[in-house]
Amino acid sequence: MIVRRLALAIAFACGAGAAGAQVVDRTLPSQLSPSTRATLERLIDSARVAGLPVDPLYSKVSEGVFRSADEPRVVAAVQRLARDLGDARTALGDSAAAEEITAGANALRAGLHPADLSRLREARGHKSGHPLTVALVVIADLATRGVPPAMAAASVNELVTRNVSDGSLLSFRQNVERDLVGGRSPASALDARTRAMIDDERRRP
Amino acid sequence: MSEPDSPRWLDEITGELRREVPVRSAWRARLLEEVARAPKPSARDDIDDRFSDWQEISGHPERRRRSITLGPLAGLAAATLFVAIGAGITYTAMSSRAGSHQAQRAATATGPQLVSGAPSPVEREVVRFELSAPRASRVALVGSFNEWNPAATPLSRDPASGKWVVSLRLPPGRHVYAFVVDGDVTTDPAAPRAADDDFGSTNSVVFVSSPRT
Repeated sequence: MIVRRLALAIAFACGAGAAGAQVVDRTLPSQLSPSTRATLERLIDSARVAGLPVDPLYSKVSEGVFRSADEPRVVAAVQRLARDLGDARTALGDSAAAEEITAGANALRAGLHPADLSRLREARGHKSGHPLTVALVVIADLATRGVPPAMAAASVNELVTRNVSDGSLLSFRQNVERDLVGGRSPASALDARTRAMIDDERRRP
Repeated sequence: MSEPDSPRWLDEITGELRREVPVRSAWRARLLEEVARAPKPSARDDIDDRFSDWQEISGHPERRRRSITLGPLAGLAAATLFVAIGAGITYTAMSSRAGSHQAQRAATATGPQLVSGAPSPVEREVVRFELSAPRASRVALVGSFNEWNPAATPLSRDPASGKWVVSLRLPPGRHVYAFVVDGDVTTDPAAPRAADDDFGSTNSVVFVSSPRT
């Protein structure tokens, strides 16, 4: 009887420990006013119910407080991000990972069109279960450096179709950046570096 | 009181049964004394009775029921111990599931670098951040992984290279960050950039791949 009771107690404790390990407590910064907190909590709850990743929303709020943005601006930023997350999820599909959706939202913010995200998803197809996160990060980065987003997306699309690795995509980004800093035009830099990468991939055993 | 339609002999018998039995007052007093002296019954008595029944059924009359009595503090300590055991078992299970990695990889050729893959919960990778700022007196890292808190992750100067460095365990995924150099926020010149953050600023991005890929 005692052994059975001890076993039950330990099993209960394990369950409690496992449950505690899975619960992540995210809270809004305490500097915010109660009304803003309530508004943000409603926004974030709506996003959560819609199945969108909410960590980026909490992070956006923290960043806004860090950058001393006024509260209406913080609320507007979170609203916009929630909308972008929804659009990214629609374009990338329901099976997209949270990190893909977040990167996709940032790519939309950088000026990419949702149709470009869908084309990227089609380019990957079912060849690999590899997320498009790095591809989307590279597109957003190139767009912030003055490369037209659609042009950047087309180049990255070409590389994703050929199953270029994440490491190679990041090297591609660096090389294009170097060319842009050196005075090359975005179109010229993209074209040259895309061809070089495709040639490299062809030469791989 | 007689019930309707009942025979008379039945009424006589029930009347006799209902008549109060005379009790001597001395007997009544002694009975009440005995009741007052007897110990109060408890739930354990019921358990003991059931245990005795079980002994008879199981055929092991020689077994004795053992009981453990814990005071309040001892009970609390025991409960705390059980929870700690449970948490420890869970932590160990999650750590072993993460696996171990010894290969060193670079997230980018420059910029944040994956340094090691020591096993840890939630499959975190160690990422090294560095910034060349020779005239700075204080550099901190802020980002989505530390609630943008400038006090959370200070960098220290590497005596060999003179660069400001810090290594962090980050979970797989995309993380945005910036450096705070003597109070001024700046991006990492060696890392990809994120689009405008709606606060008029640009952040840097580091991507941590899953240890299994």
